[in-house]
Amino acid sequence: MADPILEVHDLRVTFDTEGGLVPAVDGIDFAVAPGKTLAIVGESGSGKSVSSAAVMGILPSNAEVKGEVLLDGRELVGLPDDELRKIRGNDIALVFQDALSALNPYYTVGWQVAEAYRLHHAVSKKAAFKRAVELLDKVGIPDAARRAKSYPHEFSGGMRQRVVIAMALVNNPRVLIADEPTTALDVTVQAQIMQLLADVQEEFGTALVLISHDLGVVAEVADDVLVMYAGRAAERGTVRDLFYRAAHPYSLGLLGAMPRIDVPPKPRLTTIPGSPPSPGSIKTGCPFQPRCAYTERVGERCITERPELTPRPGEGDHEAACHLGRRPEVVS
Amino acid sequence: MPGLVWFVIRRLFSALLVMLALSLAVYLVFYAIPTDPALLACGKPCTPDRLEQARHFMQLDQSTMQQYLNFLKGIVAGRSYGEGAAVLHCDAPCFGYSFPLARPVSTLIADRFPVTASIALGAAVLWLVIGVSLGVLAALNRGRLLDRLAVGFALIGVSTPSFLFGLLAILVFGFWLNMVPVNGYVPLTESPVDWAWHLVTPWLVLAVLQASSYIRLTRAQMLEELNLDHITTARAKGAGERRVVVTHGLRGALVPIITLFGLDLGGLLGGAILTEKVFSMQGLGDLLIDSVGNLDVAVVVGVTLFAAFLVILANLVVDIVHGALDPRVSHG
Amino acid sequence: MSSSVAGVVSPTRQALRRVRRDRSARFGLVLVVVLIVVAAASPLLVKLSGQDAFTYHIDLLDPVRGNAPRGSFGGVSAEHWFGVEPLTGRDLFSIVVLGLRTSLVIAIVVTLVTTVIGTLLGITAAYVGGWFDAVLSRFLDFLFGFPQLVFMIALGIIVPTSVPRPLLLIGVLSFFGWAGLARLIRAQARSLVTREFVEAARSVGSSGWWVITRELLPNLLGPVLVIATLAIPGYIGAEAALSFLGVGVPPPTPSLGRSISDSIVWVYTGTDPWFMVFPGIALFTAVLGFTLLGDGVRDAFDVRLRRTH
Repeated sequence: MADPILEVHDLRVTFDTEGGLVPAVDGIDFAVAPGKTLAIVGESGSGKSVSSAAVMGILPSNAEVKGEVLLDGRELVGLPDDELRKIRGNDIALVFQDALSALNPYYTVGWQVAEAYRLHHAVSKKAAFKRAVELLDKVGIPDAARRAKSYPHEFSGGMRQRVVIAMALVNNPRVLIADEPTTALDVTVQAQIMQLLADVQEEFGTALVLISHDLGVVAEVADDVLVMYAGRAAERGTVRDLFYRAAHPYSLGLLGAMPRIDVPPKPRLTTIPGSPPSPGSIKTGCPFQPRCAYTERVGERCITERPELTPRPGEGDHEAACHLGRRPEVVS
Repeated sequence: MPGLVWFVIRRLFSALLVMLALSLAVYLVFYAIPTDPALLACGKPCTPDRLEQARHFMQLDQSTMQQYLNFLKGIVAGRSYGEGAAVLHCDAPCFGYSFPLARPVSTLIADRFPVTASIALGAAVLWLVIGVSLGVLAALNRGRLLDRLAVGFALIGVSTPSFLFGLLAILVFGFWLNMVPVNGYVPLTESPVDWAWHLVTPWLVLAVLQASSYIRLTRAQMLEELNLDHITTARAKGAGERRVVVTHGLRGALVPIITLFGLDLGGLLGGAILTEKVFSMQGLGDLLIDSVGNLDVAVVVGVTLFAAFLVILANLVVDIVHGALDPRVSHG
Repeated sequence: MSSSVAGVVSPTRQALRRVRRDRSARFGLVLVVVLIVVAAASPLLVKLSGQDAFTYHIDLLDPVRGNAPRGSFGGVSAEHWFGVEPLTGRDLFSIVVLGLRTSLVIAIVVTLVTTVIGTLLGITAAYVGGWFDAVLSRFLDFLFGFPQLVFMIALGIIVPTSVPRPLLLIGVLSFFGWAGLARLIRAQARSLVTREFVEAARSVGSSGWWVITRELLPNLLGPVLVIATLAIPGYIGAEAALSFLGVGVPPPTPSLGRSISDSIVWVYTGTDPWFMVFPGIALFTAVLGFTLLGDGVRDAFDVRLRRTH
């Protein structure tokens, strides 16, 4: 693998809330190289979005971030806000899930894209607006020069997502973090947006961190995958490791919950029973244990001992955090 | 923007209708007065003959409906009372004639309005500035000392009736500290310095009290606004805190603030009545209270309608400004 | 990242629990309870102090100082706990507690009347829609266009003195007061009317009255309670303002607003500022208590009362 542009080591995020300290992310590692795509997968509440916000340094003030976030070897955690501000939106940009709420309803989309450019370049408003139109055109907004003067509510969902992507790309960032960029869109538009992101990656060599719970999308675009559960890494490896050699029962559950066309249809999609625990509520043992179908086979250990990531057979650094030694067969 | 033009025309038309309905209601109510205003004009001893004469002269012998039509006609074409040598002309637009004061109502209102407007406008500018800036500061320092001070100040402000606060201010600054004049009004044209000097206390009294609701509103709006996703977007773009707060946060909070401001300005005549009494200033409120005492129905109706006009005008302006401030408001 | 709430607690219960936890709301509640107890027991308290609000005590006044009370703090003594009124020598404690009662009774009655009318009309307009909604909305516009305080002052001359003024005050304040509430409730109810459970009730043939009282009303209880609580301090202030202007409760019925108005000259001449202090504090405390409680209730129910424009 080429040298990673973004590396995260032992990232921990704790929220100081009324109900006490809540660990949202409990020690995760990942890295992504230029031009490559890392997918972070998990159910809502697993800490995916918090991790990305932590990398950007835009968590609310009651959050405490520990660990290392290295951008091209430079430590970002603990950097003063002035310094971080120069990196945000410039070297690392974020594409949000819900484009309608991510855009400011009171300003035209052209203004908003131009603002992102002006914040990092000393140019005139006019020049910035020109650049904004250029980007809007690039992401496929028809008649961009005219549409730049429209407000967010005057666009369709897909077009709004394109605007958000244009805003993220306007400074040619080296890392793009896309937080569920297609969840709110219908399927055909989803495909267009993903294609757009792939094109951008190819053209600029942007590293993409894709946060998603949609394994169909992940299978198509990701190089590496990190599966998160309750704020920790359940499994990580290449996309083929995950799809052909999944070692964690949770990953298997996610795969079972995904409709596939390349294998004969089962009578019905399997789902994972129960719901994810709230972060920090499971103190000992495996956080997935209450929902796991393999607990009986392993026994006491699942309840008493927390599984760490251990190597598994695969292409690269395939690892899973499960006491079940070999690859589990599918039980249903 | 033909949509906006139509919207304004439609709103103007409906404002006119409301105004007409209001004037009819006010007229019918006040001319149902059990005491005959002509009695006062008749003098003593009041023979039935002279009373009849006075009633005829004041056109009180006609039906209420006829009187209302006369009133409307007077606005357009002017009116005259009596005939021959004793004739009294009231030029268009004639809003009635005060027999006790021997002046047209419109002249009386025009004489007194500058006093009321001086109090109101000066105070309004002050409280908008104080209220919004303290509200923003409170929201930014949520939970800290500054926030508590501002919230406490606002709480005391909304809990203190304006007349009570005005009396206290006069007592402290006027009598004990002997810093400011305690009453009276000097026209702006006579001496701008004296004008302002005499108005300082009423301005501050009204401003401090009204600012309280603006602190509360601004603070609440800002807290809500700063929680929105597009604020996170602005941070992710690399915008500095000041830009995030003012350009993105305050912009959204502005709409309800301006709405409240417009409505408060329109309703200020009500508040001014109290202020004028406390500071012994001869404005519209003072005129109204005197006229109520004198059974001077023409003036009472005139001032009431003028106050209604201001309220309706403010509503109209607020609607239009609201549309201009919020691109999502459609005028279809 | 919220932890799940153990057990099912009704929203009203939860809200009340939150009120109890909120320090300033608790303070407001204590103030309100004390004020209501004092007002309700005012005749008793007056009797306890051995005074009444009407007997003149000329002997306690100092003719040299324009009949201001003798002694310090406006003539405070073991007999007259708040001193006496200048010029008449009437017991100020009696005047203040009975005046407080007048204020609270008027404010609470007006709040009850406006809440019932405003809620029913607001919900009905949202539910029935059509011409009823259109007419009501226009009428609300009309009421909002009215310069209320101006009109209330002017009404003083057209209503015959045979009509008791407290009743007139309640009538006028109610007449204008329900409009704001109706508009807010209508907006809240409109968002409910389209929700599934109302549709469901309608589709199984429930009558309009049933849907309004059994489906809509319970769900609007929070907002109604919030608006009503927040309205009370406004009415206390309005009653005081009208009495201050001399068009409220007529003498000799004690009234805080009128006492404050009467005190102006004594404050200005510095002969007896205490005449303003006692009624002023009572009025301030009443408004403050209900405002704090109202804020607490609003926060607890998490009701957004944005102006609908």
